Amino acid sequence: MKTARLTAIILLSATLCLLAESAGYQQDPNWKAPAEAAAKRNPLAGKPQAAAGGKKLFQRECAQCHGDEGSGLKKAADLQLPMVQAQSDGALFWKITNGNPDRGMPSFSKLPENRRWQIVMHMRELGAN
Amino acid sequence: MKNGLAFALCLLWTASGLSAQESPYVVTYDHHLEEPGNLEIEASGTLGAPRSGSFYFAPYIEVEYGVTARWTGELYLEGQATAGDSGVFTGWRLENRFRPLKREHWINPILYFEYEGLNEATRIGKEIVGNAHPRRESNAVLSKVPAHEIETKLILSSDIHDWNLAGNFIVEKNLSAAEGFEFGYAAGVSRPLGTLASGGACRWCRENFSAGVEVYGGLGGTNGFGFSQTAHYLAPVVAWQVSSNSTLKFSPGFGLTQLSNPVLLRFGYSYEIRGFGTQVAQWLGGKH
Repeated sequence: MKTARLTAIILLSATLCLLAESAGYQQDPNWKAPAEAAAKRNPLAGKPQAAAGGKKLFQRECAQCHGDEGSGLKKAADLQLPMVQAQSDGALFWKITNGNPDRGMPSFSKLPENRRWQIVMHMRELGAN
Repeated sequence: MKNGLAFALCLLWTASGLSAQESPYVVTYDHHLEEPGNLEIEASGTLGAPRSGSFYFAPYIEVEYGVTARWTGELYLEGQATAGDSGVFTGWRLENRFRPLKREHWINPILYFEYEGLNEATRIGKEIVGNAHPRRESNAVLSKVPAHEIETKLILSSDIHDWNLAGNFIVEKNLSAAEGFEFGYAAGVSRPLGTLASGGACRWCRENFSAGVEVYGGLGGTNGFGFSQTAHYLAPVVAWQVSSNSTLKFSPGFGLTQLSNPVLLRFGYSYEIRGFGTQVAQWLGGKH
């Protein structure tokens, strides 16, 4: 009985892992920031030194899916693409904040606002490179 | 013992020095779920000193996994030891949290469902529900009394700038006894001490700390809803992000009623394995 339970738990765990990993990246044309959010300006724009913290945060929070250089992995978008870089700071901030959970992108609203803006700054550096 | 302590300290010290933010709450849940594919292992404990009876220590291990961006699952294993009595295994819990709404809102709801395969010796106090009863039986007796329970929570949580406000309403049903439904609550407010991330690695800087306060307690049950004969606690909470993937939490809780423990000390150490799901999928032959 105990062995059966243990087997069931292991199978359930493996299924959950596969479920979490099964979705590959697909662009979502409906994932757009509202105009008001897209118009927001980065309050750290005049503080270029804040971008260094953004790089650190990007490596921790984003690189796992988007790659160290943001060039995208199987599950997540290439952040260097013009269609990403053409979006306003406010739009990128909104996407980081809300995520797109049905496509596997989690919300990062747990990060303080300043840190989300720092990540936007680093994304701009990735685009420039 | 010394070797174990030295190993634990060494592990903390050698962990990498990046920073991140973890909720400091110990009892209250906010709306932030585990990122999909990440696995977090947490070793925690509750140290209590009842007004009558011996002090006790209730350690527990949590294994939390982000199944999807809207579903986090968690397994608990717990035990308990009482001074002058014995140490016993008190059971397991399987918890699930679901995020019904796609976007961030002013108030974000999370639905929580938990099955508990416990016995009556459980004392981790992850939720305080129903009425408070002083314990007189030994662990040997209590550990033989099953407490199979269903617990649900409505979690409401808001991020207002850098502050988090969270409230939980708890309903619990013991399937092993005719107790009716029991109710409880937990609420908390917290914020990080530093909101900007520095460029370099730092361990002791403000950005790695967050702090707040929780209040939690029982609300009686279907046999009598309210504050009568219930336990309530006020508890400052602090979390220290030791490294990019590990956090220490500490919370001294102070009893607010005669039926509360005067003090509850809670602490925990969590370690997050990012991309755990990807690694497992690779081991199982997935194309990643």
